[in-house]
Amino acid sequence: MTADKPATAGRLSILSLASSNLFGLAAIVAVFWAIFVSLTPNIASSFSLFAISRSLGIDIVVGFSTMVVLATGGMNLAIGSIGVCAVMFAGYLMQELGVPSPLALLAALMLGAASGWANGVTIVTTGANAFVVTLASASLFFGAMLITTHGTPFEGLPPELADFGRMRWGFVSPMLALALAIGVALAILFHFTALGREILSVGANTRAARMSGVRVGRAIVVAHTLSGLLAAVAGLMTMARLGAAIPAIGRDWLLPSFLAPVLGGTLLSGGAVSIGGTILGALLIATLRAGILTLQVANFWLQLFLGLVLLCSVALDRYRGGYLERKSARVRA
Amino acid sequence: MNTRLLEKEWPALAVAIALGFGFLAATSPAFLTEFNIYVLLRSFCISLLVAFSQMTTLAVGQLNVSIGALGGLVAIVAGGLMEKLGVPIGVALAAGLALGALCGFVNGVLVTRTGIDGFIVTLATASVFDGINLGITKSIPFYKMPAALVAFGTARFHALPYLLIPPVLAAIALAIFLARTSLGRYLLAVGGNPQAAELSGVPRARIIVLAHSLSGFLAAGAALLALAQLGSAQPTIGSDWLILSFAAPIIGGAALGGGYVSVLATALAVVLLTLIQNGLVLEQVDPFWVEFLLGGLILAAVGFDRLRAARAGGG
Amino acid sequence: MRLAVENVGKSFPGVVALDGASLRLEPGEIHALVGENGAGKSTLIKILTGIYRPDRGRLTIDDKEARFASARDAIASGIGAVHQERNLVPRFTVGENIALEQLPMRFGFVDFDAVHKRARKFLDAIDSSIDTRTEVRRLSVAQMQIVEIAKALSLDSGVLLLDEPTASITGHEADALFLILRRLKAQGKAIAFVGHRLEEVLSICDRITVLRDGKVMLSGEPVAKVDRARVVREMVGREERIAEFERAIPQSDTPAMEARELATARGHVGIDFKLMKGEILGLYGLVGAGRTELARALVGDERIVGGQLLMDGTPVASRNVADAVHRQKIGYVSEDRKGEGLILAHSVRANLAITIWRRIADRLGLLRRSSELRVVAPIAARLDVRTGSLEREVIKLSGGNQQKVSIGKWLAAEVKVLLVDEPTVGVDVNAKAAIHEAIAGVAREGVAVLLISSDLPEMVALADRVLVMRDFALIGEVENDRNLERVSRLIMELIQSR
Repeated sequence: MTADKPATAGRLSILSLASSNLFGLAAIVAVFWAIFVSLTPNIASSFSLFAISRSLGIDIVVGFSTMVVLATGGMNLAIGSIGVCAVMFAGYLMQELGVPSPLALLAALMLGAASGWANGVTIVTTGANAFVVTLASASLFFGAMLITTHGTPFEGLPPELADFGRMRWGFVSPMLALALAIGVALAILFHFTALGREILSVGANTRAARMSGVRVGRAIVVAHTLSGLLAAVAGLMTMARLGAAIPAIGRDWLLPSFLAPVLGGTLLSGGAVSIGGTILGALLIATLRAGILTLQVANFWLQLFLGLVLLCSVALDRYRGGYLERKSARVRA
Repeated sequence: MNTRLLEKEWPALAVAIALGFGFLAATSPAFLTEFNIYVLLRSFCISLLVAFSQMTTLAVGQLNVSIGALGGLVAIVAGGLMEKLGVPIGVALAAGLALGALCGFVNGVLVTRTGIDGFIVTLATASVFDGINLGITKSIPFYKMPAALVAFGTARFHALPYLLIPPVLAAIALAIFLARTSLGRYLLAVGGNPQAAELSGVPRARIIVLAHSLSGFLAAGAALLALAQLGSAQPTIGSDWLILSFAAPIIGGAALGGGYVSVLATALAVVLLTLIQNGLVLEQVDPFWVEFLLGGLILAAVGFDRLRAARAGGG
Repeated sequence: MRLAVENVGKSFPGVVALDGASLRLEPGEIHALVGENGAGKSTLIKILTGIYRPDRGRLTIDDKEARFASARDAIASGIGAVHQERNLVPRFTVGENIALEQLPMRFGFVDFDAVHKRARKFLDAIDSSIDTRTEVRRLSVAQMQIVEIAKALSLDSGVLLLDEPTASITGHEADALFLILRRLKAQGKAIAFVGHRLEEVLSICDRITVLRDGKVMLSGEPVAKVDRARVVREMVGREERIAEFERAIPQSDTPAMEARELATARGHVGIDFKLMKGEILGLYGLVGAGRTELARALVGDERIVGGQLLMDGTPVASRNVADAVHRQKIGYVSEDRKGEGLILAHSVRANLAITIWRRIADRLGLLRRSSELRVVAPIAARLDVRTGSLEREVIKLSGGNQQKVSIGKWLAAEVKVLLVDEPTVGVDVNAKAAIHEAIAGVAREGVAVLLISSDLPEMVALADRVLVMRDFALIGEVENDRNLERVSRLIMELIQSR
């Protein structure tokens, strides 16, 4: 089946099955690196590596944002909208109201979490499909952002933000470190806390979780709140990279947000997440993007590639998981 | 009786449209002018086909998020055929429709053969279609469209654009198809209860492929209308269809799990959405409100549905 | 048409559903297929209708070997069936559902007048009060059942298989159905009738086959030659040894759980019972009697709409399952352990510990493997859960071991009241003994147990008293003196009394 199902899989399967998936993904990434480096050695320059690490950090957090709702068997199409709302709110607070940057960033994170919370509460109370609710709220949030800001970017942000965006630790951006730190926190959540494991239980079998006394509604709301918070984090990271709060942030997150966790072996049906896999999935995206950029090949290849990679990976996963799937389908029948 | 009327979506929509119409007629002198009605109907044409495109996949309980990308691809392929290769209009349009149906067919086959969630499949194919689109155009539109096509795109009989003809025909055909043909009934049966349909001898996989193909065909139709209307093949055609494509069928009461759609209510929902859009322009409200209201309306429809279910179940 | 299976076997992971079963349906005969829950009746029906493929054995139509690749093949071969699951399209009208196999066409379009006329014809034969133009979702469960029967009739098939067709319809409707079945029989159809109510079955059927644990106990005997007692004996399995458990007398005067005139949203009325600490109270009834639904209401999954539920003498207000589990300490072992008892893809450890995660987390909310294992490992050992490692996914365990896990998690939760629903359906003999021992052990420790079971020997072995339920009401109580024959007779008499 899938890669490391943290709270659940046995040690044996972590060693064998799970890592075969991760190793496979890592091998694909390595092959692409080999190809790109042999074509344009520039890609391994220290600046290029820095740029890649920076966008990788953002891709990882975007992937996490979807991963935490996939854990419950739901989805969140509003990640881009929540991200840009947080960004524009932070920009407004800092530039127009002169709020100190730590406070403004905190407020923006709160807004992201609140938006995610609203999604979760709507899903739980209406019992509606997460797809419809977050599709609608994506439109709602984005519309609200445009109405209030008229789509004008905030470019006079405090310099310390852009400084953070440019900061280099060797050839690595601290943003990658931030993303990895979030990964560690999520690993602790899903491995070692009652809440995280309840979320996974809800995703694996909602009925069984409910009958075991798990508060299903709360688990779903928490997952969506976390997703909103992570979307805000990803947005603010992008803002720091660009040095400005721009309404276009988040518009192209939808595909990568699903791509990273799904490539990494997180189940769409819920109940299992793979943090390492999501990181590797994001690395594949960042690699492809960087390679195509430095090769100066037309950008359309990226779109085409990402789509095909997604299709192939889920198809492969389906055939690999086919055995267990068939078995349980028969049991259910 | 009261509850039965509440069951149907179209009366509520008709009332909302009447109210909106009355309000705009009373407050905005520009509303009832021939030209404004013409403008309103023009945008209605495309939106209607976009909504129908999503509606056919919803009927079998599937989602199609590739509609916009598919439409964009069809528009530039048809445009490219006419501008670069000088293909006659009729042939180019037919090729566009065929391409749309083919892309939908691919979606359907991928969904039924691999058993992967339709959302993920169409998310991926959307990216592929977009990639091909960008590869062909390098983001540069085809501007030189045949004069006859452009003329058709702007021709009107008083307030009625000629462009209205294809979508209205499509609506009638779709209504008859879903209500009166065996294939149409199978489509809804598969959406309503896949096991029951299969046990009744309905070929489930083929019906799902059919629904996706039809969805692609209708999205292609919308793209070609947009092509005629704009007079150029823009690679961005379709980029803003996603939310609209879901909004109209859902406001029209379509069951997201499949098995129930209404051509009439979906069409009325498109009228309502077009009216709101037009109203915002006339009342000089920030155009950004459109996006916001679309989201709000979907949520309202979902909430209303919930209320109705609660009343039916708990009452 | 003559339909037969010989020596078929069918296994699911952890369960042998059919073990060399045979059945022969002759034209012009109604053949009863009876057995307790989990005896393999539905599996056999599903093999006959092409939904399942048998692991071994032969299927013949008119003495020629046949193979069904799908349900459609079976339909095409002239086999009509009414399954236990609802196989109707909710938003379609009654008429269209009945005619869906072959929609009448006119000029290339569906001819709805003909659809309704056709449906009317088959529906009138059973119940003319249902309008064919009504959408199926507006019908009652009983009406849907009638529509399904009409649909099976409309196929004009040579063989008709009915899986519990009377489970949810009234006596009047059932009488109408029997009239039709007799008529169809006269027309030379071969009919199989799966039923629970023995009187009903014996009055209408010509031959009877009894299944128990996937094996044929009585094979196509003419009904005239067997008496009721024999059928019951074969169903129940008389030679099964009844284990004696050391049973303590309930120790407390206050009931752990008490229901006073309880009414539920699902239709229970006037439910009265007291469940004492340390007692095992049986709840017996046929399929559809409302036992599982009552258990769900007690654990907060169905709404209680009237009367009172008291825990330790204090009334309990409206609540959800989480409240019932964590506050009132009520656990429910579901009959559907794959659907709602267990999280199959998760480990044994996670499944056993899910109810206590909140309790054993440290002050930072962190959960340690070691603290989980400290609670869970002794329970797994006590219940003798056969698994290589506690980290194994539950789906890889046998049915019996899975069931031990789904009981074990309530031991971990230290519940005061345990509702156990059909605990040994589809588990092998050894696991059955271990599960029985576990339930008796839980009661010895002072937990009040409500045992729902259709397995009479199990009931007699475990329960102190047996409540009998029919049509969502309690109709009587039988004291258990461990005499299987007497207790079975008393229970059956209560149920069959109309």
